[in-house]
Amino acid sequence: MLKINNLTAKIENKSILNGLNLEVKPGEIHAIMGPNGSGKSTLANILSGKKGYEISGEINYQDKDLFKLAIEERAHKGLFLAFQYPLEIPGVRTSNFLKTSLNAIRKSNGKKELDALEFLKIVKTKAAELKIDEKTLDRQLNVGFSGGEKKKNEILQMSLFEPKMVILDETDSGLDIDALKIVANGVNTLRNNGRSFLIITHYQRLLDYIKPDFVHILMNGKIAKTGCSDLALELEKVGYNKI
Amino acid sequence: MIEELKNTFESFNKKISKKDTIAKIRSDNFEKFSQLGFPSKKLEDWKFSDFNQIISNKFKNININLEQQNKFKFNNYIKEFEHNKIVFLNGFYNNHSFNYENEEKILFDNLKTGPAYEPQGTNSLNLLNNAFFTDGLLLYVKNGYQCKKPLVIYNVFNTKNDNNFFNQKIIINVEENSKLDLIIYSINLNSVPIFLNTSNFFLVEKYGLLKLFCINELNNNDLNYNLSQVNVTENGIFENFILSCSSAFFKNDIQCILKEKHSSGFINGAILAQDNQHHEIKTNIEHIGQNTKSYQKIKSVLNKNSKAIFQGKIYVDSNAQKTDGYQLSKAIILDQNSEFDSKPELEIYADDVKCSHGSTSGSLDEDAIFYLMTRGLSRFKARKLLIKGFLVDAIETITNEEIKKYFLNKLENKINELR
Repeated sequence: MLKINNLTAKIENKSILNGLNLEVKPGEIHAIMGPNGSGKSTLANILSGKKGYEISGEINYQDKDLFKLAIEERAHKGLFLAFQYPLEIPGVRTSNFLKTSLNAIRKSNGKKELDALEFLKIVKTKAAELKIDEKTLDRQLNVGFSGGEKKKNEILQMSLFEPKMVILDETDSGLDIDALKIVANGVNTLRNNGRSFLIITHYQRLLDYIKPDFVHILMNGKIAKTGCSDLALELEKVGYNKI
Repeated sequence: MIEELKNTFESFNKKISKKDTIAKIRSDNFEKFSQLGFPSKKLEDWKFSDFNQIISNKFKNININLEQQNKFKFNNYIKEFEHNKIVFLNGFYNNHSFNYENEEKILFDNLKTGPAYEPQGTNSLNLLNNAFFTDGLLLYVKNGYQCKKPLVIYNVFNTKNDNNFFNQKIIINVEENSKLDLIIYSINLNSVPIFLNTSNFFLVEKYGLLKLFCINELNNNDLNYNLSQVNVTENGIFENFILSCSSAFFKNDIQCILKEKHSSGFINGAILAQDNQHHEIKTNIEHIGQNTKSYQKIKSVLNKNSKAIFQGKIYVDSNAQKTDGYQLSKAIILDQNSEFDSKPELEIYADDVKCSHGSTSGSLDEDAIFYLMTRGLSRFKARKLLIKGFLVDAIETITNEEIKKYFLNKLENKINELR
């Protein structure tokens, strides 16, 4: 699904990633943990196509050179990043945004675009599953949303777009325990043999609810250690310095 | 150009003025106009719009139209909502229908044989209008009558020769406890460039409500100046919305006097200027009565070498205690060659007032574009969605749901045409 080979990234001459290697196979869940400034969000940004980094190395996504895909093409091909800080977009109704995006993705995959009624039916079901108030759909996108509402809205997008490769960038931070369970449930519902997840997190907490196949520790722009889900528990006990 | 206009005026005045007294007043207006000339940027009110230069670049000469056509083909009537209508063709009254109203409650006449207006003030385009106006509308909504459906004034132009200069007056009196939703819709069906110069007077009496919506679909060589002078009396409400998306030059100049206590004025607008267009909204709200309220929100988007201007003034008289005035202008500039000028002004002589204003301009938020692109939208689509979101905020101020929807559609179509 995703193969990262010797990835380095600099921003304004400061090295952030220093030869990162990672392979995510279809159906696998990988967690990436690491202290502040270790390069976790940079990795997420680069995968989604954010400009401004000096990059070397290779990333293959579904056997294609990811760097040759435009930002929106990555989305069309099933790459989805749940933002750490989802943007507030004034004047754009959440439901209108969701429909426009979903239809752009469907269209690029040769599927029929949904009309307003078909869309509404799907989005209402998905919103209910995530315990998102229907009224949220009429509000301006993320404007005045609480931290939890913003994160749940990201998960709603994930469940609507049904992506192949999901990257969750600290989706758990700022969530209360109920919201955390809902988010985890959203992920677990989507989990299947063809879909992979890369979960970036500071805390082991989320991994109580989503059991990863692998846990990687990112330090100084490299994967410092890889293990199974027990690694996260160990980390919680001893901290990054002892790893 | 003014010399040539003088000859045009003299033969025009002979034809149109049936009485010497009227001819004299028109002539006085023209005299005063010719002393002042077309407004240039030397004038404070025109400092961002050198109209003299604009008109000189666009027109070698302007000729008045006196030809009245009876029948014409027009397919652009608004289908989205039921409405009453009055149709003007090339500046002359053509037909009307008040199918939804009690016709006894609405008094109206055209101004073909109407009075003349004494020269007042130094607004040279207004003087020019007084000298040259050919027709217009005088309308009263009688005491206590609430119009059931909006009235649309269709101002249609299909001139084929170079008679391209139109001057019109719309004078409306919304009497006590009465209500009118009015749309002034100007449209040029032909490609002959026109200069449309209108002077409107509105009076909103006690507890009256006038909602005025202005939209124009003129062409990219046309010039349109609209002057609206509005007086609002006790507890009266004036609401104005301007959609400014077409014409080479489009300036709406609104002078609203909140004369008596508890009167209010709302002036909102969306400007989408592109392809060398020059659009301006200029407001002057005078709070004279106590407990008066004004609110203004203008959103502008500028693309491809265009210019937009908002000049907004709130004046609070020393008697106008408990005034509540608010003004906000926001602009997004999409290319380096476009220019937005904003001149907010507060002039306050009372001490117990609440007045605020704000003005911002900038470019589209790149992070927001990125976010939308990661959701599968092309850069082009993401930009359009953000532009729409930005302008819709102004449309949201419209308090008539049907009209709001109609304007939203018009705006969406314009945004979809953006390149």
